[in-house]
Amino acid sequence: MAKKLVAVVKLQLPAGKATPAPPVGPALGQYGINIMGFVKEYNEKTSSQAGSIVPVEITIYSDRSFQVKLLTPPAADLLRKAAGAPKGSGTPNRTTAGQITRAQLRQIAQQKLPDMNALDVEGAEKIIAGTARSMGIKIVD
Amino acid sequence: MTWLELSVQVDNEAVESVSELLARYGYNGGVVAEPAWIPGDEGPEFSYDPNRPVTLRTYIPLDPQAEDVRQRLEQALWHFNQIRPLGPLQARHLEEEDWANAWKQHYSIMRVGQRTVIVPSWLEYSPTPDDVVIALDPGMAFGTGLHPTTQLCLRLLERYAQPGLRTLDLGTGSGILAIAAAKLGAGPVLAIDNDPVAAQVAAENVRINQIDHVVTAGTGSLGAGQHMGHWLSGDFGEEHSADASTPPTTPQFNLIAANLIAKVLVILANDLAAALVPGGILISSGIIDTKEADVVTAFEAAGLRQLERHVEGEWLALVHTR
Repeated sequence: MAKKLVAVVKLQLPAGKATPAPPVGPALGQYGINIMGFVKEYNEKTSSQAGSIVPVEITIYSDRSFQVKLLTPPAADLLRKAAGAPKGSGTPNRTTAGQITRAQLRQIAQQKLPDMNALDVEGAEKIIAGTARSMGIKIVD
Repeated sequence: MTWLELSVQVDNEAVESVSELLARYGYNGGVVAEPAWIPGDEGPEFSYDPNRPVTLRTYIPLDPQAEDVRQRLEQALWHFNQIRPLGPLQARHLEEEDWANAWKQHYSIMRVGQRTVIVPSWLEYSPTPDDVVIALDPGMAFGTGLHPTTQLCLRLLERYAQPGLRTLDLGTGSGILAIAAAKLGAGPVLAIDNDPVAAQVAAENVRINQIDHVVTAGTGSLGAGQHMGHWLSGDFGEEHSADASTPPTTPQFNLIAANLIAKVLVILANDLAAALVPGGILISSGIIDTKEADVVTAFEAAGLRQLERHVEGEWLALVHTR
């Protein structure tokens, strides 16, 4: 009999530097999986990307075993880097944090496509343009 | 310790940008997303449901600044809400014990290898004569017996831990491997970890198993490892690796168990080799398959000869001798 899936949790963490403190502890402890087991596995898999945020998808099964899958960097991170902006705008409805070109948008969409709920790169572009807008990052031609 | 959990429900397309916002305020930049998913036909298969909202959470320590942080985040979300609708920001207090011990109710008696039985220290167990029972409360240390690397090491110890062998468990975590070695007859056993929390947990587990006379648990490392920080800190002390002030390691162990990570095994290759008596056995694990070559090369260069290689999922355990 195939084991049953009980939860899917995504975490955004600094590569190689996960600890059992929040958010890892509360996010995973409630499902009965061993927190240090996850921390060790995550840090080992991401140690070469230190300095970046590496999101991870954890699937948890009924026997308390779990699988760890690393995901592409957050779109927000890629947008910030492309725009050369240290952070998004805190008031995206009023102030802009930076700008990127359509070509940069397409590049980010292509990189993110495998992890997105988009059918094609155009769909991914639309979602990422939305993210850019809500961070106060303008898209220019 | 008390934490403040802040959560907000957002639609799928807002996940990335609101996560970015939460990461700015949350502890360690961490954000949790719980997306809605739909089970597939086969047990572990699933797909995401893009039409249902996603709950995002972040955590901040509940200190005098916490309320200020919450208000700033609420303001940032208000601005965001002008562009794209969001749920309200929810806050609740969370005690560390709530999650630190939550996994315990699912941790049960477990058989590993031929004879080893891991028994959570709060449960009763009637062993059969052949059982090697390890009573364990791993607390916040690594080594519950559930992780593939620990299981690989336990199986190998069943074969290699013989009476009279001077044994070192380097990076002992919960003490599980040191205790297994001692219960299988090896000894004296030295169980060390450079994480003081782990060293304390290990000492407590040694006491629960009533093998204080065989196992010494404490804080420490080997050779270049003495300059390393906690493995969670990412401080591998490389700038000291050629430091002549590191006392030379003398060959004194017949058996070494080192369930670490590949990078640390590479840095410690020479020290591990030097700590082993000729003909001694080194069991190393915590090696992820993509980094196997690094460890194999470093061990070879340190004069170690590979005897065995075991795989479970993406993880490996190796047996070397010198």
